[in-house]
Amino acid sequence: MRKLQFTTALFALIFVFGLNTEALAQNYNGKQIIEKVYNRDTGDDQTSDLTMTLTNKNGAQRIRTIKQFKKVLGTVDKSIMFFISPSDVKNTSFMSWAYDSDQTDDQWIYLPALKKTKRISSDSKSDYFMGSDFTYDDLGDRKLEDDTHELLREETLNGVDYYVVESIPVDEDYMYSKTIVWVNTSNFIGLKKEFYDEDEDLLKILSIEDIEKISGIWVIKRSEMKNVQKNHKTSIELNNVQINSGLSESKFSERMMMRGL
Amino acid sequence: MKTKILIIVLLVTAGQYTVAQNPDISGYVRNYTGVVFETGDFSILQNTLNLDLSGSGDKIAFKANPMLYHYNADSLNLQLRELYLDLYFKNFDLRIGKQQVVWGKADGAFITDVVSPLNLTEFLLPDFDEIRRGVNAVKFDYYLGNSTFEVIWLPNFTATETPASGSIWYKQAEFPVAPVFDWSKSEMNPGLENSELFVKYAALTSVIDFEIMGGYTWDDLPSMHVSKQLDMSSGNPVLTGLDITPEHHRLYLGGGSFSTEIKGIVLRGEAAYYNGKYFQTEDPMAIDALVEKDYLHYLVGLDFNIGNVKFSSQFIQEAIMDYDSQMQKEERENTMTFLARYDLLRETLHLELFSYVGLTNEDALIRPKITYDFDDSFSILLGSNIFIGDENGRFGKYGDNSMAYMKLKYSF
Repeated sequence: MRKLQFTTALFALIFVFGLNTEALAQNYNGKQIIEKVYNRDTGDDQTSDLTMTLTNKNGAQRIRTIKQFKKVLGTVDKSIMFFISPSDVKNTSFMSWAYDSDQTDDQWIYLPALKKTKRISSDSKSDYFMGSDFTYDDLGDRKLEDDTHELLREETLNGVDYYVVESIPVDEDYMYSKTIVWVNTSNFIGLKKEFYDEDEDLLKILSIEDIEKISGIWVIKRSEMKNVQKNHKTSIELNNVQINSGLSESKFSERMMMRGL
Repeated sequence: MKTKILIIVLLVTAGQYTVAQNPDISGYVRNYTGVVFETGDFSILQNTLNLDLSGSGDKIAFKANPMLYHYNADSLNLQLRELYLDLYFKNFDLRIGKQQVVWGKADGAFITDVVSPLNLTEFLLPDFDEIRRGVNAVKFDYYLGNSTFEVIWLPNFTATETPASGSIWYKQAEFPVAPVFDWSKSEMNPGLENSELFVKYAALTSVIDFEIMGGYTWDDLPSMHVSKQLDMSSGNPVLTGLDITPEHHRLYLGGGSFSTEIKGIVLRGEAAYYNGKYFQTEDPMAIDALVEKDYLHYLVGLDFNIGNVKFSSQFIQEAIMDYDSQMQKEERENTMTFLARYDLLRETLHLELFSYVGLTNEDALIRPKITYDFDDSFSILLGSNIFIGDENGRFGKYGDNSMAYMKLKYSF
């Protein structure tokens, strides 16, 4: 069951390391930089095939494939995912309605073996997604005000200038003590992000490996999260991405969860 | 018969249409071995092939789910759990054929979930996808926004399957003299007169999910009509024989269920009110030792997380209205369920503890299990079913059947 408790999240990875083509020549503070990263155009709706590859320290791999749909409906972001593999989760579906306000997300899971749609708690932000190295928050469900953001420095890597921003959670009991993100100064593209555990030791590194502009929207095609303490990693790859294809609102319903692809 | 022929023709037609586009085959092979603690006997030696065949198009889909069970003595049991055709329209869907229907918000309790009868040949131990029996039905769903209006018509009645004599799960009631059973009235001819009808309105909203349902059905378990033979030759009546005739009775029921989240805790509830249910009584004036009473069955439950452990608990009550003290069943029967689950090693090792606790009879069924996924297709499950408490209780009466078991499963 637990492997099937998700957030809207995978789409939102795009937001976390979102891109902004607006080149800026002015000074920003840490919060403004992160806000620029978060607030970018992602289109009215998106469809994609997602492949998640989990690699353990011995190099053995497990692969999960998902078909996902997302649509922005006013102040509500609705998403639905259909699990294609592995076989024990095949035809399982997950739907989430996320709100711009403080209202808690609504989440449901349809389990084909039980033939039942169950409402599940959204109180699992620190849980790992399907046994991967990504938590729900890592995948983008975190809000701007959940952390205090400080611009540490500007840094040049391979001839590209980056803002280096440190974000410290407001909640002292949060699973990370801090994160540090490298943001491209010209277009606000994230390059990498470091996650530190409660002892302030480096725990994980997220790297963006491939981006592509689709229908005028920048999309992260491939990323990798590596747990440097346990030496295992997870890569996420998006294929067949469609933006603004005119998805119907009725796609995000219990009817479709139960019908499947 | 005509209905069955029609269903077969439709399924074959749909199969040709959809298989040509995207045939889909999945399923699993499973070995299931259980040993009873007390005797060391194998309570079960079972090999299972579960095939899930499906195909779908924009307007039509089909599913066939045969399950082949092989038991210890080379006996084979082929069950067709589901075989149906889906027809999709703009605002409504039709599902025709043998299907399993699941209603309500309860876990491990069957309150408004009464469309598909149960297979209780192994008590409540099978996985919940195996414990229901498929029913021949026509299911109509009309959609309006996030609401669904559902009507299900079952042309023929399917009863709950109970353990056969000889099974370790068969517990015959004690009688002062050996009874003679007459099963002739327990079977019902298919026909309009004996069909069943269920309706449901369900909504899924940002605040709450709920269902309201009603049913014109048959009691899935037969009532035992008892006829006593008395010898009056000594002047005092002496019981010399018992004739027991199991017979299903019509039931009317209405109910509903809901589910909502409050500060990270999912609150669930479900209730059904039954009219026309028969209960055994020791009242000498009662006809056939039965009395008809209304009956309420309800549940409240919580799902929540503490750290990385998932918890779920439910309180269930069965209450007989206008109770008569001579009835055999308790006026109130209270049960609780508990579930704790913890996943670790990147969700390859799963620890789970589930239990039913009978509060009325102070008995319980405790079900710890450990599952390890060797990879995405192969897993091993080690578990135990422990029955404790009052021997007259629903769970305690199986005290001799406490067991350990192992399931090896390959999914494809």
